Amino acid sequence: MALDVAQAPSTGPARRTGRVPRRRPPGGGVRRGERLAGWLFIAPVVTILGVFLLLPILMAVWVSLTKWNGQGSPFQAGVPMAGASNYTRLFTVDGLARQDFMTSVRNTFYYVLIVVPTQTALALVLAMVVNQRMLKGKSFFRTAFYFPSVTSSVAISVVFLFVFANSGAINSLLGLFGVHGPQWFADSRGVLHLLLGGLGLVNPDAPPSALAGHQMLGLSWWDWLSGPSVAMCSIIALVVWTTSGTFMLMFLAALQNIPQQLEEAALIDGTNRWQRLRYLILPMLRPTMFLVVTLGLIGSWQVFDQIYVMSQGGPAKTTLSPAYLSFRTAFKDFDYGSGAAISFILFGIIVVMTLLQRFLLRERDGAK
Amino acid sequence: MKTHRPLWSRIGGYVVLGFFAVVFIYPFVIQVTNSFKSEADATTNPLSPVPHPFDSTSFVHIFEGTNFPLWLLNSVLVTLLATGGRIFFDSLAGYALARLRFGGRRAVFAAILAVMSVPNVVLLIPKFLVLNQLGIYDSYVGLILPLIVDATGVFIMKQFFESIPVSVEEAARIDGASVFRTYWSIVLPIGRPALITLTILSFQGSWNEFPHTLVSVQNPDLFTLPRGLADLVSGSLGAGNQYPLKLGAAMLTIIPVAVIFLIFQRYFVRGAAEGGSKE
Amino acid sequence: MKRPVPGTAGIATLAAALLLALTGCGGGFNNNKPAQQQSGPASLQVLMASSGDAETKAVQDAAAAWASKTGNKATVTPAQDIAQQLGQAFAGSNPPDVFYVDAARFADYASVGALLPYGDKVPDANDFYESLRKTFTYQGKLYCIPKDFSTIAMEINTDLWTKAGLGTSDVPTTWDQLTTVAQKLKAAGVNPIAIGDTRDRIGAFMVEAGGWIVSPDGTKATANTPQNLQALQYVQSLLKGGLAQYPKALSAGWAGEAFGKGQAAITFEGNWIKGAMQSDYPNVKYTVNPMPNGPKGAGTLMFTQCWGISAKTKYQDAAIKFVEAMTAKDQQLSFAKAFGVMPSRQSAKDQYTAQFPTDKAFIDGAANGQGPVNAPKMDSVLTDFDAGLQQLATTDPQTILQRLQTNTTAAIGG
Repeated sequence: MALDVAQAPSTGPARRTGRVPRRRPPGGGVRRGERLAGWLFIAPVVTILGVFLLLPILMAVWVSLTKWNGQGSPFQAGVPMAGASNYTRLFTVDGLARQDFMTSVRNTFYYVLIVVPTQTALALVLAMVVNQRMLKGKSFFRTAFYFPSVTSSVAISVVFLFVFANSGAINSLLGLFGVHGPQWFADSRGVLHLLLGGLGLVNPDAPPSALAGHQMLGLSWWDWLSGPSVAMCSIIALVVWTTSGTFMLMFLAALQNIPQQLEEAALIDGTNRWQRLRYLILPMLRPTMFLVVTLGLIGSWQVFDQIYVMSQGGPAKTTLSPAYLSFRTAFKDFDYGSGAAISFILFGIIVVMTLLQRFLLRERDGAK
Repeated sequence: MKTHRPLWSRIGGYVVLGFFAVVFIYPFVIQVTNSFKSEADATTNPLSPVPHPFDSTSFVHIFEGTNFPLWLLNSVLVTLLATGGRIFFDSLAGYALARLRFGGRRAVFAAILAVMSVPNVVLLIPKFLVLNQLGIYDSYVGLILPLIVDATGVFIMKQFFESIPVSVEEAARIDGASVFRTYWSIVLPIGRPALITLTILSFQGSWNEFPHTLVSVQNPDLFTLPRGLADLVSGSLGAGNQYPLKLGAAMLTIIPVAVIFLIFQRYFVRGAAEGGSKE
Repeated sequence: MKRPVPGTAGIATLAAALLLALTGCGGGFNNNKPAQQQSGPASLQVLMASSGDAETKAVQDAAAAWASKTGNKATVTPAQDIAQQLGQAFAGSNPPDVFYVDAARFADYASVGALLPYGDKVPDANDFYESLRKTFTYQGKLYCIPKDFSTIAMEINTDLWTKAGLGTSDVPTTWDQLTTVAQKLKAAGVNPIAIGDTRDRIGAFMVEAGGWIVSPDGTKATANTPQNLQALQYVQSLLKGGLAQYPKALSAGWAGEAFGKGQAAITFEGNWIKGAMQSDYPNVKYTVNPMPNGPKGAGTLMFTQCWGISAKTKYQDAAIKFVEAMTAKDQQLSFAKAFGVMPSRQSAKDQYTAQFPTDKAFIDGAANGQGPVNAPKMDSVLTDFDAGLQQLATTDPQTILQRLQTNTTAAIGG
C-alpha cells in the first residue's frame, strides 16, 4: 500500500486570504489556540534538531577556520586562527594533508564508481525477478534480499572480516576452484594496476615515467589510475550486499505500480520480453532509478562505519575515505579545524555530485 | 491473460533467485555456525555449516569476558528512549506541520528538509563540539538526547497526516475539542499504520546507531552494542583470531532487529518505500 | 528536491541567540587554569593501554594494593584505543587522572598542555635511564616518569635453526652474516625471516646504519640520508630475495605470531614476545640474541611509555604518589615478571638480569637503543611512512625517504 505523497496545497492560500472554513465559529479563538498548539507541538523537534544539528554546523564552520587543538573552548579569544588555510591547504599546498585528502578522494571515487551502478543494477534485477507473477515464495525471497539492510553495519562488518579473512570463507570457496585468493585486507594493490599488468600493457612494478613521474594535486598520475585496492573490494562487496535490498524494495514498489493493462497491451502488440523491458518498464522506472542513484551517491560518498571497523584506512591508506579522514584528523591528530574543513568539503562534493547526476539524467528525459 | 513462459525460462528464473538467495543468506549461516565452533575449527573450516565439534564456549566468554551485558543494557535503554521519543515528538511535529496554521511553519519545514539533506558524517565533529560545549559529553544525556527526535520521522508523519481527510478533525474541533485533544484522540488512532512504521524505523535506527556513539561517549561503561562490538574487533582489545567470540557477539546484536523484522516485515517494506518518496 | 525559501526572520534570530548563549556559557570547555585541588581521600581514574590480560590484571592488583595502603581509591580501565580516547578526553572536562602516555604521542600531549610536568616532584628521578627521561622531556621539563621500556632483539627458533644445519656459532652478528644465514635457511626449506612492516621494526636497521628520522635534538628532519637509504635498500633486498616476509604475507597479525607458529626461523621483536610465546606457543624453543650490527655498529629501537598525569586532575599529590608506587623498584620487577617489560630504573638492572638471564640481549639494548620520535604533530607523518614501508618490496626507497623528509620538515621545521 503506497501512500500518496500529497503536498499540502492549503498552506499558502489559506494563510494569505485568511479563508475560514465555513463551519468554524467566528472570533479567531480557535485560530489562536492553533497557533499556540502549533508552536508547542513543534517545540521539542525544533529545539533538539536546532541544538544538535543546526547549531553544530554553525559551530563547525567556525572551528574549521581555526587551528583549535581540542584544549579549552574554541570560542574564546586567543584561539589560533587559520582562516581559509584549512581548506586551501587541501588543494594547493604540497604536503601530507593534501596527499591524504586526495588519496581519500581517489579511493572513494573508485568506490562510488563501482558501488552505485552495481547496487542499482543488482537491485533492479532482483526486483524484476521477484516481481514475476507466477513466482512462489515471493515473500521469502523479498525477505532474504532485504534482511541484510536492517542489520547493524558494525555487526555485518564483523561477519565480513571473517568471511574475507586470509583463511576465511571466500578464500576457501576460491580454493575449491583451485584459485589462491589474495590476503584481502592486507593487499593494497590497485585493481586497475593489476588489470593493466595482467593484460601486459604496463608493468605495475615499474610504471611508465610519464605516469609515475608527474603529479596532479599531490598524487602521481599512476596513483590516480590505481582503481580500488583489493582491500577496498571486500568493502565494496559488503556494501553492495547490504544496500541492494533496500533499493530492490523501491524498484519493487515501482514495478508494482505499473498498470497491468499496459503490460497486457504490450503483449497483445506482440512485443517480446526484451522490447517490453526496454520500451515499457525501464522508462516507467526512471523516477525510481533516479532516486536510487541519488540515494546511492549520497550514501556511498559517506562510507565510514565499515572503514572504522574493518580497515581503519589501511592497508597503505587505500581504504581511506574523506569521512574517516575527517574523523581521524580531528580525534587522533587533534586538528579539529582541518577535520571540520574536510567534512564540509565532503558535503560540497556530495552536493555537486547530486546536482551533476540530476542534470545528466534530466537532460535525457526531455518531456518530463 | 496468463503469460506463457517456457519451462526453461521459469527454471532459469528460480536458479537465479536461488543463487542470489544463497549469496544473501549464507553469510548469516556462516556467522551462526562459526560462532558455535572452536577457534581452530573456525579458522580451518570457515565454510562448513556444521560445527565440528559443537562448541559454545565463545558465548560464555562473551558474557563473562567482555562487557557485553552492559552494552546490551545500554542499547536497550537508548533504543527504548529514542524510539519512544521519536514516536511522540515526531508525530506531534508532523501533525503541526501538516494541519496546524502558525507563523514560521514553512520556515521550520524548510529547515527540517535542509537538515535532512546534510550527510550524517559531516555532523560527527560538529556534534562533538556541541556536546562538549553543553557539558554533556560522555554522559547518558549526551548519548540519548540527540537521538530522541529525527527529521525523517517528522517528514514521514507529516506526509501521512496530510493524506487524512480534514473533515474528521474539523468535526471534532466544532464539537469544542482542543487541538491536543483532537490530535490525541481522533487523528492519532487513524495514524496507526504510519506510527507503526515510525516505530519500526526508529527502533532499527537507534539500535544500530554507531557514529553517534563514537563522538558522544568515550567511557566504556556507556557503550552500546555496536560500539562495544567495534571495540571488540578493531581496537587493542580485539587482537587475535577469536572469531567465534566476535561472530557470536555480532549475532547477538543482530537477533533483536531480526526478530522484529520477521514479525513486522510489511512495515519495514513500507518504511523503505516511504523513505524513498521523500524526494 | 524542493527547498522553500525560509520565511520567518524569527527563526534566524532564535538560532543566533541560541548560538551566542552557548558560546557565552561554554560550560564544557575549561580554560587552561590548573584545576582546583581537592583534599581528603583521592579517587583516581587510571587509563591504561593493555598488552593483554596479564598486564591488566597486574596493574589492577598493584593499584588495589596501593589504594588499600593509602586509603585512596584507584580505578584502572584498559583502553580500546588509547590515543583516540585520550584525545577526546582531553577535549572534555573530565580526563582520567593518570594514564599511559606512549612516547610517540608524548610531544603532542605535552605541547597542548594536557600533561602535568611533575618530574621535578619525584625525588629519585635520576635513577631512570637518561635516554628514557630525555624521551619524556619537552621544552626542558620532565613531564612524566617512564614506567618501563622494551627493546628489539633478534629471536631465533632453535628447532628450525638446527634443521638447516646451523649452530650457535652461526648466529649472525652483521648484516652480511644475516643474509648468508637466511639463504641457508631458505635452501633448507625454511622461511628465514619474519619482520614487521612498520618503522617500529625496520627502523632498527636505520639506526644500525647510523641514520634516523630526526636529528638527536628532534628539531631537524634527517630522513633523506645515505645511511637511511642503505638500511632500506638492505631490507628491500631481503624482501625481494624471499629471505624476509611481512606478517600479512604469512597470514599472521604480527611477526611474533608467524614466529610462534613456526613459519619463520628469525624474527625481530621486543620483550613482549616473551609473554606471547609463553601463553600462545609454549612449545616453541627459541633464543634471544642482539640485533646484527650494521655499517655503523650496534643499534636497536627502544619503546617506552610513561605515567602521565592530567593537568586538570584534582588530586595532584595522590596521583604523584600513585606513580611513585607504580615505579618503585620492587613493583617494576614484579611487573617485569608478570608481563615481560623491563624496569626503567637503572638500579633494577642487575636484579632483572639475575632473574631473567635469557633477556640479556633485550636489556643490553638500552645502551644503543633509539627512542621514538619526540616531536609534536609527527603521528600522521609516521603513519604515512609506515604506509610506504608496507610497499617497500616494490617501491624505490629513495621515494619513500624523500616523502618522509618533506613531510617531517613540514611538521617540525620552520
